[in-house]
Amino acid sequence: MDNFAFFRPTSVAEAIDLASGDQKRDFLAGGTTMVDLMKLAVQRPGGLVDITGIKELESYEIGPGRLRFGALARMAVVADDADLREACPALTEALWKAASPQLRNVARLGGNILQRTRCPYFRDTAYTQCNKRDPGSGCAALEGGVTSLHAILGGSEHCVAMYPGDWAQALIAFDAEVRTRGPGGSRTIPFADLHVLPGDSPEVETILEKGEIIISIEVPVVPAMRASHYLKARDRESYAFASASAAVGLELDGETVKDARIALGGVASVPWRAGAAEEVLRGRTFSEALAREAGRAAFADATPLEHSAYKIPLGADVVAGALMTAHARARAGAKGED
Amino acid sequence: MAQTINTEVTRTDARRKVTGAAHYAADFTPAGMLHGALATSRIAVGTLTGIDTAKAEAEPGVVAVFTHANLPDYKTVKGIYSGGPGSASFWPMEGTAIKYAGQPIAYVVAETAAAARRGAQLVEASYEEGEAHIAMDPAQSFIVGAEGDGEGMTLTKGDIAAGLAEAAQSVDVEYVTPFQHHNPMEMFAATAEWRGDRLTVWMPSQSVRTLRHGISAAYGLPETAVRVISPFVGGAFGSKAGITPYTMLTIAAAKAVGAPVRLIVTRQQMYTVATFRPESVQRFRLGADASGRLTAFEHVEIAQTSQFDEVVNPGTHMTRSMYASPNIHTEQRLARSDTNSGGFMRAPNEMQTFFGLEQAMDELALKLGMDPVELRRVNDTDRHPVAGVPFSSRSLMECFDAAKASFGWADRNAEPGSMTDGDWLVGYGCATATYPTNISPSAARVRMQATGHAFVELAAHDVGTGSYTIMAQIAAARLGLPVEACDVVMGEAHLPLAPISGGSTTAASAGSAVHLACLAVGAEVARQVSAMSEGPFAGVDPAQITLEDGMLRGPGGKSQPLVEALASTPRGEATAEGQYRHPALTDEALRRTYQGGYGVAGPVTPEMAMFAFGAEFAEVRVHRWTHEIRVPRLHGAFAAGTWLNRKTAHSQLMGGMVWGIGSALLEVTELDHTRARFLNANIAEYLIPVNADVREIRVEMLEEQDDYVNPLGVKGIGELGIVGTAAAIANAIHHATGKRLRRLPMRMSDLV
Repeated sequence: MDNFAFFRPTSVAEAIDLASGDQKRDFLAGGTTMVDLMKLAVQRPGGLVDITGIKELESYEIGPGRLRFGALARMAVVADDADLREACPALTEALWKAASPQLRNVARLGGNILQRTRCPYFRDTAYTQCNKRDPGSGCAALEGGVTSLHAILGGSEHCVAMYPGDWAQALIAFDAEVRTRGPGGSRTIPFADLHVLPGDSPEVETILEKGEIIISIEVPVVPAMRASHYLKARDRESYAFASASAAVGLELDGETVKDARIALGGVASVPWRAGAAEEVLRGRTFSEALAREAGRAAFADATPLEHSAYKIPLGADVVAGALMTAHARARAGAKGED
Repeated sequence: MAQTINTEVTRTDARRKVTGAAHYAADFTPAGMLHGALATSRIAVGTLTGIDTAKAEAEPGVVAVFTHANLPDYKTVKGIYSGGPGSASFWPMEGTAIKYAGQPIAYVVAETAAAARRGAQLVEASYEEGEAHIAMDPAQSFIVGAEGDGEGMTLTKGDIAAGLAEAAQSVDVEYVTPFQHHNPMEMFAATAEWRGDRLTVWMPSQSVRTLRHGISAAYGLPETAVRVISPFVGGAFGSKAGITPYTMLTIAAAKAVGAPVRLIVTRQQMYTVATFRPESVQRFRLGADASGRLTAFEHVEIAQTSQFDEVVNPGTHMTRSMYASPNIHTEQRLARSDTNSGGFMRAPNEMQTFFGLEQAMDELALKLGMDPVELRRVNDTDRHPVAGVPFSSRSLMECFDAAKASFGWADRNAEPGSMTDGDWLVGYGCATATYPTNISPSAARVRMQATGHAFVELAAHDVGTGSYTIMAQIAAARLGLPVEACDVVMGEAHLPLAPISGGSTTAASAGSAVHLACLAVGAEVARQVSAMSEGPFAGVDPAQITLEDGMLRGPGGKSQPLVEALASTPRGEATAEGQYRHPALTDEALRRTYQGGYGVAGPVTPEMAMFAFGAEFAEVRVHRWTHEIRVPRLHGAFAAGTWLNRKTAHSQLMGGMVWGIGSALLEVTELDHTRARFLNANIAEYLIPVNADVREIRVEMLEEQDDYVNPLGVKGIGELGIVGTAAAIANAIHHATGKRLRRLPMRMSDLV
């Protein structure tokens, strides 16, 4: 690991000031990705601006019309919140199924949504080809590499690295927004716009600008949240990244689907909303066959790589299975109201 | 005196371990110590054309950077598979040749570990790159060793073609197992300190005597000048047995800089600087008559090896020991690829081969329409199928019957895919476990004092298994002392010889030496009290006095507790050494062991075949939507002679079964074929089971008496638990889904 300067601001304004300008400085929150990548010499910041001293960013609220999560709220704390579990089980489950208890105790929500890829070619500098780490150097995965853990949605000829996170899928499914502040002032970014596709510049992963800090993540409450579910398929029961996952929510009118939300994890370059699959469901009578149809639709545009073709049938089944659970929850909710 | 053997005794070192008071090799810090770090090769095959260390040398804190060009007095040794003590025969940094990715190319010494690692990252190398293949090509395999009977590498008995021709049913199947790495929790580490011509090495080791012998021979030093210290080992599984490049580089670097140096190998480097389980292909052709009796048994094992060693772990020797068959053919083959040399990993001959054999038996049972347990029963045998000698004890079917009952096998609907529970498909499967009883020579020294304490000293190792505790139990039983009064000292090469902690040898072999040393203490005390003028044994012929569980007994019913007899002698203490050698151990094996090698009697001696047995039953669930494979229940019953410590033995067997879950469903070292590199060299992406993967594991330990194996009647159990697990799970997956998975690990991607 390189030597680096270390700063501990106590206000957002101070943090922005420290991280802006020409210096090669990055924000540090829980550090569960950053420190890892620094040890591997993949990220080599000249300075770290540790924002965990900004206590005002730790709070969160589960309101009747809106959920608001401070960027520095801990994953473990929010995962344990009973009101959130009732308001939106998918958001709770996606946190619970991420990483390990030790990591969730340390990791913060703002950092979690910016988690970087687990592509082995990105993480090991012995591979000279990685457009994300070293723009223009090529892609070892696409050039004869192992692609079993790579994106079948959203990738480009320059990069097929997969976005590994869980919580982001539940956020994008429910139209979350990200509030930020930076040298140029404050703004609100639709969650779906936060991450950018790799295209021909995979080194750029988000639209955040230098010195721009996430203040909060906010989610408008919709009925489909209550009958939501996050299903994560993985070979290891815990502490493993998704081979495929789905965050789904349903709002039913009788057995007719009024609103459907579907997002995919473990399969795409960025958090992935499966709009076409949602369209399959809306206005139609729910059934297992319909759930399977939606699952297939979610992957209609997928591009299988040499070792990742299994993700298409697996992902389709995971979407269908998640919808079955969401449907059961919607039915149980309807019964409860009767 | 309370019974101490065949009871549950908590580890004597448990408290020290959980409080941090137990010092592992890397916890020793000699004064003035510097830190080492390795830089490794990016390419797999080729030549180092240039290496620039200027930036590394300029890094603050860096003391020296060594490469092939400037490391003085660097010694190497021959590899284990060439009869030496080394982890491989090819040694990096002797020249510019690169033979595997991750090969050490530079050794950085610095004032801090961080500076050393930073320096290593700053070493710049250029290469002329050659063509490399990380995976073996089974079509290019070659046969190993000469054809012969008994111990021959390749073996033919009877006529396979004739046996298949007369078979009512047969199977001809191939199973594939991957590269795997041991991933012990404790990192590889070596600390070396020179004081003139005397050298001390602290290093986690499965064989301190191997290290001392090899290092002293390499440097031309008497063994008395080399100390090797490894009091505790945080997991080894076969990875800490040989002398590795990181050891010899650290010793040379310490000499060159004139200060002690410690190297802790990084997790990623642990995948390439030492050994691993080579990938393999297991081909079986089995034929059986209508009653299920085998008429033909053929097994060809093709295992990966490096370009510079022939890494042979003869698994066919184990499979051909299993079931009766008039016609047997086995072949041991190797295929080369561009890696460092593999080695042995927990159940080195058995894990891969029984994944194959026990699935092939299941496939045969299905074809025959037989219950898989009954197929094992009709092919059970009390004589070794090849050597013809009787088994010293064999409780295979007792194990099957016990595990079958505890598991509830009777509830199984034999039809594949017939059992479900909600969204889960349910399957039951079973498999045989076996492990050879390897008996090594060993020695031990016991010093007993009139205060009722004893020192037990031997160069054995506790690799996390409970060896300290069982040695204390044996001494306590023989000397008539409480377990806690027996202080066991191990893990140092200057102590009396004990075997390599490998092949499940320690309890049976070193334990027997402790037993004999205690009897020798009894004989010594008997000599002293018989020579005294008063006391119960005054004037009695010492040859007539025996030690039985802490009591000296003589003619005419005379008896006295040993500790009392000792207290009556003027010295008040007695020291004796026990030298254990199984009667079937050859002089050659004895000599090899004293020269730091692996020498054992068995498993097949001219009189007997010595094996431990077990049966494992697995319940598997496969999720309808996610296709996840889970193992909610695993039951094993085992028989392995005397249980020394029912608690640590239970843990060993259970740990083996957990290890088996890993092999079955998770563990694989992924290969980048283009760059010929191991891809997932970290324990985030190399999956091993976590708590959530391990649900109900039931271990039943059957009683078994075996007077042939050794004076204690003990068979080793360090590896037995893993042997049947992967096949039992595979057979259960087939039962749940109707899909036969013949490649490890078995994953959801195989079931979509």
